Amino acid sequence: MDAARSAPANPVVARRRRLNRIVGTLSIMATFAGLFLLAWILSDLVYKGFSTLSLSLFTLDTPPPGSAGGLANAIIGSLLITAVGIAIATPIGILAGTFLIEYGRGGKLAELIRFVNDMLVSAPSIIVGLFVYQVVVAPAHHFSAWAGAVALGIIALPIIVRTTQDMLQLVPDALREAAYALGAPKWRVIVVVSYRAAFQGILTGVLLAIARISGETAPLLFTALSNPGWTTNMSSPMATLPVVIYKFAGAPYADWQNLAWAGALLITFSVLILNIAARSFAPRTRN
Amino acid sequence: MSEPHLSLQPAAPQPTAGLASEPKIQIKNLEFFYQTGHRALKNINLSIADRCVTAFIGPSGCGKSTLLRVLNRIYNLYPGQRATGEVVIDGENILAPSYDLTRLRAKVGMVFQKPTPFPLTIWDNIAFGIQLYEKLPKADLDARIEWALRKAAIWEEVKDKLKRNGASLSGGQQQRLCIARAIAVKPEVILMDEPCSALDPISTARVEELILELSDDYGIVLVTHNMQQAVRTADFTTFMYLGEIVEFGETDQIFSNPKEQRTQDYVTGRFG
Repeated sequence: MDAARSAPANPVVARRRRLNRIVGTLSIMATFAGLFLLAWILSDLVYKGFSTLSLSLFTLDTPPPGSAGGLANAIIGSLLITAVGIAIATPIGILAGTFLIEYGRGGKLAELIRFVNDMLVSAPSIIVGLFVYQVVVAPAHHFSAWAGAVALGIIALPIIVRTTQDMLQLVPDALREAAYALGAPKWRVIVVVSYRAAFQGILTGVLLAIARISGETAPLLFTALSNPGWTTNMSSPMATLPVVIYKFAGAPYADWQNLAWAGALLITFSVLILNIAARSFAPRTRN
Repeated sequence: MSEPHLSLQPAAPQPTAGLASEPKIQIKNLEFFYQTGHRALKNINLSIADRCVTAFIGPSGCGKSTLLRVLNRIYNLYPGQRATGEVVIDGENILAPSYDLTRLRAKVGMVFQKPTPFPLTIWDNIAFGIQLYEKLPKADLDARIEWALRKAAIWEEVKDKLKRNGASLSGGQQQRLCIARAIAVKPEVILMDEPCSALDPISTARVEELILELSDDYGIVLVTHNMQQAVRTADFTTFMYLGEIVEFGETDQIFSNPKEQRTQDYVTGRFG
């Protein structure tokens, strides 16, 4: 190392080294800036939310200002609406991704769907909320958890399509050819070879989609709305964590604000756990 | 031509013995076109003998893999690729649109350049192909799987880990697993597309031995980049160049006494 340093200074090498050091320092600083913000958000969240964490958070419903309460109705609402939304989006998303790679590959239709789907991935979620309001809430004349689930499903769908498509694309064609060369019919090649090979990746995509929709607020404001009491009736309005946080955080009551912090902490940790789970399922790079 | 015999060379078949009898595959006026319209095979006429190894050699892009991929019509997966002419196996033209692809692939198995174990257990890898054609009771299925694995000279290495994933094997073992998988459906011809190019020398030697053994029972068509491999394993060799067959003959003759100058240049390493 020292020998390299004391080697006769070559101006080109010296310049490269200097540049290397500058770029290296800048990228480390940028990394720390990002991590610092993340740590700030998380520590603030834990600091303010942790004190409200208690068993009653999971047993009591959202209270009127000034009385004791928890988030039970919002937690069950979030779980239900997210679960139904994912249940709607997963089969459609996987089948659509399958079409794009296994059937329509290279065709104009698949190309078009892929393009539109990529647009949907980044569509503002409030637009999805307004759309579902138009086609589900307005005709039914009332807000409902069903409508909320449909809205979240629509947001999750393009994510699942995209990951399914990407993961199936990674399955080597040689593997498919090998199955066809044995005389296997197409459906069998897809189910036994492609899905098996892409399973972990597709599962990861579904988990990430859950993580994404579990924090969505805007589309729920127009669909599931909220509900001060406990309900599991999907046809009625239902409280959800993001909407409760939105409502409580903006209110001038300290106990509501505390509940909002606790809710935010809950969502953040669920998303964190989902991400860790997704990571552990993610296909490890082979070869 | 009393060349010193290479040790791995099996007893050379009687000249034209394979061909004098009814050939297993007869290719007549075959032409092949890719989507782009590129004519990859030009007027191919060739007879492939049963229970012999026939090697296709030639520089990259000469059409040897393309020709191999016509023999089980795997090219059919890609719309726009088409073949004209005739490929007759057991008296039937497999290029006829009415020819059943499943039947063809039961009859003509294939092994690929890179090992392609399915993301299944070793046992399931072999069972996959068998179950496409036969509904065997478990005991018979087990017996067939053992038979195929023994035939592919890998039984001893995997008999205690049949429930392990096929991908957990080494590259050479994976390739023999793929050969076992192809054999398990009881084909009559096995196509091998550079089956050793991704393997180390020891694995290569094992697969080559296997090719020689299998040629007692199956017609084997071998695409190879490795001329020594053709010398070691093939009874007949076809030299291809720019989509045409330049020369076909017994392997000894192609390598020691080629009739064509281009064959001479290629096998002596002057080009390609």
